[in-house]
Amino acid sequence: MGYTRYFRRNWQMYALLVLPMLFFIIFKYGPMYGVQIAFKDFNFFKGIGGSEWIGLDGFREVFANQDFYITLRNTLMLNFLDLIVSFPAPLIIAIMLFELKVVWFKKLSQTILYIPHFISWVIIGGIVYQLFGQQSGMINNLLTSLGLDAIPFLSDKNYWLITYLLTGVWQSAGWGTILYLAALAGINKELFEAAEVDGAGRIKRILHITIPGIKPTIVTLLIINLGNMISIGFERPFVIGNLAVMEYSDVLSTFVYRIGLESGQYTLATVVGLFQAVVGLLFLLAANYISKKLTDESIL
Amino acid sequence: MTNDNGKRKLALGLSAVLMSSMVLSACSSKDSSEASGNGAAPAGSLKIEIFDRGNAPAGVTASDNFLTNYVKENFGKANNINVEFVPIPRSEEVTKLNVLMASGTDVPDIVFTYDSGTFNKYAEQGGLTDLTPLLQEHGQNLTKFLGEDTLRYGQYDGVQYSIPAKRSTIGKYASFIRQDWLDKLGLPVPATSEELYNTLTAFKTKDPGETGGKVIPLGMTIAAAQYDSLVWSFIKPVSEQERFELTQNLSSRDYPILLPGFKDAIQYMNKLYNEGLISKDFALDENKETLTQNIGNGLVGAFSDDNDAIFYPDGTYDVLTKNNPKAVLSAIDPFTNSEGKTAKPVSAPNGMYIMIPKSSKHAVEAIKYLDWMSTEGHLQYIQNGIEGEHYTLEDGVPVSIPDLSVESSNKLSGGGDIGIIANGRIFESQEKNNEAFVKSFRTQYQDIIAKSLTISTTNPIEPVFTSRPIEAESKYGTTLSDKIKQLMVKATMVPPGEFEVTYESMLKDYMSSGGQAILDERKAAYSEQK
Repeated sequence: MGYTRYFRRNWQMYALLVLPMLFFIIFKYGPMYGVQIAFKDFNFFKGIGGSEWIGLDGFREVFANQDFYITLRNTLMLNFLDLIVSFPAPLIIAIMLFELKVVWFKKLSQTILYIPHFISWVIIGGIVYQLFGQQSGMINNLLTSLGLDAIPFLSDKNYWLITYLLTGVWQSAGWGTILYLAALAGINKELFEAAEVDGAGRIKRILHITIPGIKPTIVTLLIINLGNMISIGFERPFVIGNLAVMEYSDVLSTFVYRIGLESGQYTLATVVGLFQAVVGLLFLLAANYISKKLTDESIL
Repeated sequence: MTNDNGKRKLALGLSAVLMSSMVLSACSSKDSSEASGNGAAPAGSLKIEIFDRGNAPAGVTASDNFLTNYVKENFGKANNINVEFVPIPRSEEVTKLNVLMASGTDVPDIVFTYDSGTFNKYAEQGGLTDLTPLLQEHGQNLTKFLGEDTLRYGQYDGVQYSIPAKRSTIGKYASFIRQDWLDKLGLPVPATSEELYNTLTAFKTKDPGETGGKVIPLGMTIAAAQYDSLVWSFIKPVSEQERFELTQNLSSRDYPILLPGFKDAIQYMNKLYNEGLISKDFALDENKETLTQNIGNGLVGAFSDDNDAIFYPDGTYDVLTKNNPKAVLSAIDPFTNSEGKTAKPVSAPNGMYIMIPKSSKHAVEAIKYLDWMSTEGHLQYIQNGIEGEHYTLEDGVPVSIPDLSVESSNKLSGGGDIGIIANGRIFESQEKNNEAFVKSFRTQYQDIIAKSLTISTTNPIEPVFTSRPIEAESKYGTTLSDKIKQLMVKATMVPPGEFEVTYESMLKDYMSSGGQAILDERKAAYSEQK
């Protein structure tokens, strides 16, 4: 009785849910059918169903491959450094933007900061190579014409790390502010006014009102980021990486691309993918658990 | 009443979700049954893969143009076969083909790839039609056109699973030098490795191009066309057995990594790099973009490349002379080995692998088509167009008519990609092939191309032929070809004092990542062959 009334009044909401549900079923759950490739000797022409089961042989082969450990290490290293460098950037920018009172300037800065997000990594890669190349890059041309030594931004692994990280900040920081700005808009304005009346300065206000006000958002994003520690986008390391720095730039996604799409060893590629998914889930649960204990904020 | 209504709507929504997921899962499992259903189509239809390079002129497409219509008219209508061309983007050739092959239903009846690994994989997994009986019955002309020497490259484990295209010239690389720089410094054209080294040093110190210190004496990349001539000149002469066992063929290319002399070659690269004689950014330049720019800007003194690469319209040489009207290049052959010979690798006598998927119901038509192409000047028509409109014959060799009208030049669009049985123009003799190759370029470049072609076939090192595929090569090929480039890059870029350690540790990594497996398998294969 109560249910039907409820549905009658709210059925539109459920109807709206159908599309997202379809999306998840088709694009997220459907492909899980293919996970069994990890346990099969996948043959192109026999298809997924027709290929033979091989148990854990695929896993044994992957875990015996030294490149797997190198790419795993690089994935964790790049993601961890990225977390340290890229995670605070949007937060800081968002707070700065929030403090701005001149509306047109605020809007303009916001737009300028977003734009890199819409540029594809392939194009960014092109720009990076034009700018940072050792012999023909613009920055090094400038340095050498000033009588300084050229810096191997892209071909020395340590410099490359810096290039990689800062490019990431440049590309994603502006976009990342959106969530924080939305959260900031939700803070009760009266709190700020009261604090101002009580004589709190800007820094005090930020520390005691702004940041606590968006703490749930920060924690949620941190948990999601930690859950993604094991997975890494393909384009950025692939496009910015090169042969001279493969020691650092070769990550799980490029490894999967090489053994899967390029060498046609789909079984091994699926094994790596499944491994990433399982470890990613464990990371997520662990981060969630710790956060719940420490701050009482969690997403599950 | 109202209650039911609401429930029904909900049920409707749910069932829609369920339905669609069922339809989807059905899709993935029913492909084989559908394939057999297609066989009932009216006799005589043929789907042919064609590369879409995305450069078809306005008004025509890769799969619908003057020449595809020529095929449809002259082969299709005449044999009552409905011909259809299936465009595949050139840049995603292998991945797209993988998807088509795996689908089993949409795959064209004639597919092809340049990648021997992909061919071997399909053959190994049992996805290709055995062509021997078909060739005997319907392909005598084709067999004659290609010849046994080319055909054997299309075998997998002794079975003819593909038809390799015939290559008109096997030469790959030549080297080029700025003749105007040599003249300015009063230097001779370098003819040996030592002379080249001295010339490069002179380019570096005297900067004849007035580049303001930006001179790159020897342009280098990490693509084979640039380093192969140099590297192979260090490889010592070996017995036929050693050649077979120690060569590593990765992604359709022979790498000399285990052959004696390879280490010396990389050590020499290291020396050149540390003395500032080769491009500093060579490791970043796998697709030659930076090098092309630098040559065009007149910064590069000498470089190696494919024998034809720089001569195309709006190509590197055009750009160079546009930016530096005084710039002149000479083709040179300076990389001499321990015997004083300028040995360099050449291509195998075959081009792409043409295959008929096992799922195809039109294998006979497919062979008939390829056979048709090899007869009565059809291939010539596809490659050269119409005599009088597109070319004139000089000594039996077609010479392009310059400044074609748009309409005329559109008619030639896609010809190279339709004439799949040949790479380049094929005539009754090698000399004629070469002549036709040279004459297909613009007049002002014909002299230097003729020289560059000769250089590229001087002291040729032919690829090692293996009658059975080396499985470890198809398995580790892509990984190892990256590793070998990584080794070259790292060992070249370290200070000379660290060369030894870097080289040895990377070689160890290479061997344990599959290099040893290939070596073992090749040794076994050699003793089998005996």
